[in-house]
Amino acid sequence: MSKASFSKVISVAKDEWRYWVRSKLAISVLITGLLLTLSSVIATSVKIHELNHERTLLQNSAEETFADQPDRHPHRMVHYGHYAFRLPSPLSALDPGVDAFTGNAIFLEGHRQNSAMFAEQREGTGLTAIGSLSPAFIVQMLAPLLLILVGYSSVSRELESQTLSFILSQGTSIYTLLVGKALALLSVVGLIMLPLVISGLMTLGQGESLLTALSFLLAYVTYLAAWALIVLVVSTVVSKNSESFTALSFIWILFCIAMPRIASTAAETTVSMPGKLETDFAVIAELRKLGDGHNASDPAFEKLKASLFEQYNVDSIDELPINFRGAVASASEAELTAVLNRFAEQSMEKELEQTQIARQFGWLSPMVAIRSLSMIMAGTSIETHHRFLREAENLRFAFVQGLNKVHVEQLNYELDMNRGKSDKASRQARVSSDNWKLLDDFVFTVDDANTRLRRSSFAFLQILLWLALPLALLNIAGRRAQ
Amino acid sequence: MMYVFAQLSREWRFMLRQRYILVLLACTLVVSGFSVFSGLSEISQQNQTIERLKKADETDRSEVQAKYDDSGYLAYYTFHLTYSEPSNLAFAALGERDIYPWKHRIRMLALEGQIYETDAQNAELAQAGKIDFVFVISALSPLLIILLFHDLYASERTSGRHDLLVSTAKSAAALWGARASIRFIAIFACLMLPFFIGATVSKTALFVVLEVTLYCFVYLLCWTLLSLWLGKRATSAPRVASVLLGAWVLTSFVIPILGDLSIKKGVDSPRGGDIVLTQREAVNDAWDLPKEATMDAFTEMYPQYKNNVSIQGSFEWKWYYAFQQVGDQQAAELSQAYQSAAQKKYELAGYVSLISPPLLLQRALTRLANTDAIAAHQYEQNIRAFHKQLRETYYPWMFTNTKLEKSEVLGILPRFEDVRSQDVGAE
Repeated sequence: MSKASFSKVISVAKDEWRYWVRSKLAISVLITGLLLTLSSVIATSVKIHELNHERTLLQNSAEETFADQPDRHPHRMVHYGHYAFRLPSPLSALDPGVDAFTGNAIFLEGHRQNSAMFAEQREGTGLTAIGSLSPAFIVQMLAPLLLILVGYSSVSRELESQTLSFILSQGTSIYTLLVGKALALLSVVGLIMLPLVISGLMTLGQGESLLTALSFLLAYVTYLAAWALIVLVVSTVVSKNSESFTALSFIWILFCIAMPRIASTAAETTVSMPGKLETDFAVIAELRKLGDGHNASDPAFEKLKASLFEQYNVDSIDELPINFRGAVASASEAELTAVLNRFAEQSMEKELEQTQIARQFGWLSPMVAIRSLSMIMAGTSIETHHRFLREAENLRFAFVQGLNKVHVEQLNYELDMNRGKSDKASRQARVSSDNWKLLDDFVFTVDDANTRLRRSSFAFLQILLWLALPLALLNIAGRRAQ
Repeated sequence: MMYVFAQLSREWRFMLRQRYILVLLACTLVVSGFSVFSGLSEISQQNQTIERLKKADETDRSEVQAKYDDSGYLAYYTFHLTYSEPSNLAFAALGERDIYPWKHRIRMLALEGQIYETDAQNAELAQAGKIDFVFVISALSPLLIILLFHDLYASERTSGRHDLLVSTAKSAAALWGARASIRFIAIFACLMLPFFIGATVSKTALFVVLEVTLYCFVYLLCWTLLSLWLGKRATSAPRVASVLLGAWVLTSFVIPILGDLSIKKGVDSPRGGDIVLTQREAVNDAWDLPKEATMDAFTEMYPQYKNNVSIQGSFEWKWYYAFQQVGDQQAAELSQAYQSAAQKKYELAGYVSLISPPLLLQRALTRLANTDAIAAHQYEQNIRAFHKQLRETYYPWMFTNTKLEKSEVLGILPRFEDVRSQDVGAE
């Protein structure tokens, strides 16, 4: 582009801004947009910061109370249990994603995999059913509307007032005009993005990688740029302001209001998920085959008994140098966990399958595309929640088996068997509370940058398509208008 | 009469010639149809799930009951299915059933440790929200109304026909009234037709259908009149529509979000986690406490067992179930506060919805369909009542009448009868 045409582009953009400042509507729309984004960024950052603080405290206090328990029978501690809390990722200040919809604390205990409890949405007022105050929501859904409101007439206005032919006859090419108008709209995009960019860069200080933070922001810029171009295309191809406005509003309703919900509803209708309750029946049936780990005389453990006898070269349980009850508890926990994990993996796979179907609607609506991308990048998508579930399960299995090991090695079998005879016997069947220090510190961190990038590559493609499509159309429209 | 009919039929033919209106109406019909269809399929899935669960629960329970004879083991291993069936209107208002649980299996252990378990749906899809009929009417249809009505006057004005039309028509009211009526009837029909079909399929009671229709009619009429009123005075159609869209954003998002923030700030609620924690600590501490401490706390609630609390040896089932109950008793205050905070929040949200018509409609319809937070709360109360009945059936067997036959107790075990007190359209 030559220098002369560049300055012409700038002057077209400046004219557009002058028009906006003069028209009360456009300027009030701009100010509203900026205020909305700014307040949502601040409110959400503060909230996520508090959540982070609160959950860290809760995690630490859970670890301390566990360690502070008195001398006990080790199996009592298996049932006493422990908690795992999901810490919010730095970028969740911009897109909290599923955080409010999944619980964020899991109670970990022996023989069971509990689900995450106390989803915030259940404690809410039911007022945020249509939308929430997250920056992600504001930018994904309302920012396009702002762009439509300020930009619907950008070219159609010139056509309607017949100033277009005048401008063109003065030597400004249609492309210069379009690029100038696009530049003006892009500056609006920049303005809306400003609070987001600042807040996004601040996450770097909280340990977010530069790569993810930048791609996250870049994706949003691309998304809004795509909308700016869509606005420009429609404004160029129709000849009347009102038609341009109606068409754009219609596109917005379709892309931003209807499509995301159609996507999730369609996904749920096509892939049906048996609930946890239903899979629990299958789990129970499988588990019955394994035998009850509390009952060392359950015939299911004969094989274990035989192999232990062989290993230690003895003929009876009493001669074993280890606690047989502990060995049974440990072996049955391992088998049971294998079954539980198999079912848990199945249901996570199903859930992922559903989600992938919903994400395919990103080819039909840019809002669906940015929505998946934003959540994946921020580490607030279903994948990250699944990883939390898996890590919590590892933590559960580790501490339960740790306690079972204590049971095997440190508690005398005879004392253990007699523990029900009297209160005194029950007191003897205990181990020192020093053993409760076996808990690993649990700090949940978000997936690394590469994983998140790889997961979101399809959504990047979708968004790029949404940028390329209006660009191509604009090119055609420009040629026609010439 | 003939004149009115002639006016309407002229406007009908005029509308059929406007392509963009036809596209808009077709899209409305498709989206409304999709929402009803998916609502119906969701509800049928929920019903099927309940049926399957009932069967599996029955089989599981009879297996367990055949395996154990001891009261303690029976109570420990027997789960009981509880559920809340979707009403006949639920297909149109799926409500909060994807957030609150509507099925639980519980047993005689401390209830506070069981009742918060969720059998939740896919969180990422729940976050996007569902498109049900209520959403189509309350959130989507105002936008469609705005598109249809904001330029009723202005489009004629800009095309220069306005003055001609006004001067040739018998009266302005007849002209604009006929045009607006035709458009209103058309969009209303496109929105409601799928609902009527859905209501027929799911056998919703007629008066409920009429009530829903009335609410929708009034709601849509308000948006239409607002659009017309603003449209009449302005010359630029997009300007009118911008103001209307602003009103939509304000009532659908801004007011509810601000209301939500201030209610959350204003209502103090104990953390859910604290309830479970209190209950767990109580139950776990009981193992180490003197048994009298537990039994005394238990007989405060159940004085009729005062003379049956001595425990032989270091373990007896009645002691075990007593400390389960004491765990619930200790968490009761927190749990109460948690529940009333939730109710308070929902109640306050009702006041906010008075200045947010989309929300008001949503609340009215989900109430009618019994799929709102109140219904979820009601279901929780049902579970609590059932758990109480269950305990009180076992207690005599464990405390006083230990010689009872197993079959006698199993014969009188309570069954969870879904108390569908507020159900609509009961046959």
